[in-house]
Amino acid sequence: MALLELKNLHVALEDGTEIVKGVDLRVDTNEVHAIMGPNGSGKSTLAYAIAGHPAYEITEGQILLDGADVTEAGADERAQQGLFLAFQYPYAIPGVTVTSFLRSAINAIRKARAGGVDDPVPVPEFRTELFAQMERLKVSRELASRYLNDGFSGGEKKRVEILQMAMLKPRVAVLDETDSGLDIDALKIVAGGVKELVGPSMGALVITHYQRILNYIQPNFVHVFVDGQIVEEGGPELAQELEKSGYAKWEKEKVA
Amino acid sequence: MPRARLANAAAAAAYEALPLPTTRDEAWRFTDLKDFDPSSFGTRPAAAAVTNVPQLLDLDVAGLATVTESGITVDRAPEGVVFEPLSPDHQRLYELVGWNEKFAAHNAAVWEHGLLVHVPKGHVLRQPLYVRLHNSAENGSLFFRLLVIAEEESRFTVIEEYASARPDLPAYTNAVAELYVEQAAKLEYVSIQNLSRETWHFGTHHARVERDAELDWVAGGFGSKRGKIRIQNDLNGPGATSRVTGAYFADGSQHLDYDTFQEHIAPSTESDFAFKGALRETARAVWRGMIRVEPDAQKTNAYQENRNLLLSPDAHADSIPGLEIMANDVRCTHGATLGRVDEEQLFYLMSRGLTRSEAERLIVRGFFQDVLDRIELEPVREALGAALEARIPQT
Ligand SMILES: Nc1ncnc2c1ncn2[C@@H]1O[C@H](COP(=O)(O)OP(=O)(O)OP(=O)(O)O)[C@@H](O)[C@H]1O
Ligand SMILES: [Mg+2]
Repeated sequence: MALLELKNLHVALEDGTEIVKGVDLRVDTNEVHAIMGPNGSGKSTLAYAIAGHPAYEITEGQILLDGADVTEAGADERAQQGLFLAFQYPYAIPGVTVTSFLRSAINAIRKARAGGVDDPVPVPEFRTELFAQMERLKVSRELASRYLNDGFSGGEKKRVEILQMAMLKPRVAVLDETDSGLDIDALKIVAGGVKELVGPSMGALVITHYQRILNYIQPNFVHVFVDGQIVEEGGPELAQELEKSGYAKWEKEKVA
Repeated sequence: MPRARLANAAAAAAYEALPLPTTRDEAWRFTDLKDFDPSSFGTRPAAAAVTNVPQLLDLDVAGLATVTESGITVDRAPEGVVFEPLSPDHQRLYELVGWNEKFAAHNAAVWEHGLLVHVPKGHVLRQPLYVRLHNSAENGSLFFRLLVIAEEESRFTVIEEYASARPDLPAYTNAVAELYVEQAAKLEYVSIQNLSRETWHFGTHHARVERDAELDWVAGGFGSKRGKIRIQNDLNGPGATSRVTGAYFADGSQHLDYDTFQEHIAPSTESDFAFKGALRETARAVWRGMIRVEPDAQKTNAYQENRNLLLSPDAHADSIPGLEIMANDVRCTHGATLGRVDEEQLFYLMSRGLTRSEAERLIVRGFFQDVLDRIELEPVREALGAALEARIPQT
């Protein structure tokens, strides 16, 4: 049983336009999968659909999380069951500090896992963990008391996405272009943070259109994604090849 | 005739002569009183005082008074200050709020239960004076009058909380507050209204702030059916400052109306009014703010803002800011915004495991955070924050 399994997934916009056109994918523990594709190919749409965004309709196919069908589940239930999406463009929540947001999220997940009974994380335990993770991800302490993503730089937002992942400890993490907007040092830290979590209890799906991040997170599998479909699959060498030749080959095929 | 009787009689005549406002009156354009008949509410007191009225605040207090339809009781009063039932003959009555307006006139004509808070020169109270106002009579009315005199350099807090015995109690409440903040005094005044959803509530609160004195005011609006709260601050001596912070939440068919007036009379005065509200279902809020700077009030610094967050497509808010400036060296700013809860923000929070209602609560809490941060009294800040969040139903 895979951690995350997509079966013939089709996703359409509210106006009916089909963006994701039949995707099959299995992500397991200990695995890093990379999805690489050109701008506008539908990568974020795929990520949003996996996370349960209400504006993206799954018109066909299935999403399984740890074997359970979550195709119809809300975003909150999917997260409670261990799914995490690092957003390409995270939203700001004015008035809510990073700390209080993280505590609310952790407590929401704990409550769901305790069958709907409040089971708040003890504050000292939470703080110790938060400070340790911030230290590892080189997130400044000051950021914890600022309002979530409110006025954050692009790089700060991406780091805080990874901080959230580290705190929420998902089973499957989908990272949507977490590499864009990061300088090399930040990229190394973020990649290190992801690598540390991938293991016997977590798998990751890394979405990018650059090969750069894959130098730091060695993917086990690379999926080339063009026009809503996986058009080729292979090992890490495929990423290298893409870096040289680009997506022209598949995009031409589409035209032909 | 004693002064009190004369005042009551004059006010009663004014009340009879003044028509009930309609939406043709500019101040009432968005608040329709056509279903309201003040005379349909009885003035006979309820038989017994109520207990177990739900309260938002839990405070350690220096003084405590309870007001119901049947009277006022002073449960505890601190040493060295006057905290007692208000005499109808008090010399300072009606100076700030008289009877030139329908609801002020109604109060002046018939009020019986009032509270006098008079703190002498230099006296400092560490703990607040707390007034609970409870209505419990079906189709009853409650008229309350508060007179606060903060003598020179005194510092203290007066907190009033309005609540009803039942959430669906049909009633009429009419409150007047006259607040004198004398030279270099500091008064914190908190007025929280959590009346039943069938209470017509009218409030006329007027403060005069003298030289170097400071007024810090918090208005919390949760309950009531419809009505109007008028808040006027006169900055009457150089260096006077007032800060008014409003937070309200309405749902169902509730209709809240705040009418604020920042009257700068003396030079070098400052006023800062910030009101924020969240509205669900078909609730409606009206805010009308006026800053007036009199010719002598140079170097005035005045600010007003009203921001509303709509949580449902049918909720509605009207903000009408106003400036009337007769001096030339002043700084006046105002702002009004209307926002909706953003579906993308909600999705972002839900993708972290929060349910929709938890996510909404967090967004609402965040929305109010800056006005809550203005509240110096921690128990008041916490209670208001919790009450605001609690208005988002749990699913
Ligand atoms: N909510 C939406 N409304 C309208 N069009 C949308 C919406 N979401 C996505 N699209 C369209 O779907 C297509 C795929 O967009 P998507 O963001 O998924 O691509 P992407 O591969 O993530 O691109 P990028 O590399 O730029 O991040 C684009 O043509 C985009 O304009
Ligand atoms: Mg994208």
